[in-house]
Amino acid sequence: MNMEFAFLLAGVLLILAGCFCLIRTYHLLKIIIGMELSMKAVTLLFVIAGRINGNMELSQAFIITIIVIEVVITLVASGVALDLYKKYGNLDVRNLRNLRG
Amino acid sequence: MENIIIYVSLAALLVCGVLAVMLRSIIKDAICLAAASAALAIIMYTLGAPWAALFEVSVCAGLITVIFISGISLSHDTKAEVRREYDDKRRMGVLPVVLVVAGIVMIGAGAAIHFEMPVAQRLVQDFREVFWNSRQADIWGQIIVMLTGGTAISVLIKEEKKKS
Repeated sequence: MNMEFAFLLAGVLLILAGCFCLIRTYHLLKIIIGMELSMKAVTLLFVIAGRINGNMELSQAFIITIIVIEVVITLVASGVALDLYKKYGNLDVRNLRNLRG
Repeated sequence: MENIIIYVSLAALLVCGVLAVMLRSIIKDAICLAAASAALAIIMYTLGAPWAALFEVSVCAGLITVIFISGISLSHDTKAEVRREYDDKRRMGVLPVVLVVAGIVMIGAGAAIHFEMPVAQRLVQDFREVFWNSRQADIWGQIIVMLTGGTAISVLIKEEKKKS
């Protein structure tokens, strides 16, 4: 197994773990963690893409963009989680169904 | 030596990542996610992406962990409550089996089709030139995303003040 294949394998397995977490849990903070994990896997795949095509500088520019977006998403999602907690006293996403108009 | 560091970091990334979604305590989840970020930063630095590694360590392993831990401390679900309400141990227990099966399938498929990726010659460019000149649209996009995030947070906080 060469290094690129090992990276690809790890990236796909991490995306799978993140998506599994998104599907299986109801805890909002854990859902954010699952999403973060999938984004880390995408970052890893960008690194290996930069290594394969030899243009690591372009990959770094993309990775920095991904990280900025990741932070903003986490921040807003944590704010929503806190709002949910203040309203319902727990972080169960099933409570979000009550927001339907 | 470099290969050993990369493979050990990759294994650490995978283990910490899986633990981050499998452990029952959310604090431990956040710490495992930070460790996964640190392992990813080591991989980035070793493969020749030092700026991305710097951002990964300072922002993902630092700032995001602080955000998570603040969120957790402000919404203090006890461990027993998490166990009772969400039953994550049972729900997430299948994950290692799914990952092992997926890994075996991928390794088998890779061996069957003789999966090999060509690695191109390293293109020597200046990162600053690529980031500030070639990818200017990305920078504007980042600024817009940051402003949107700031606005969203200020709206959430304003709503909270109105309630109290």
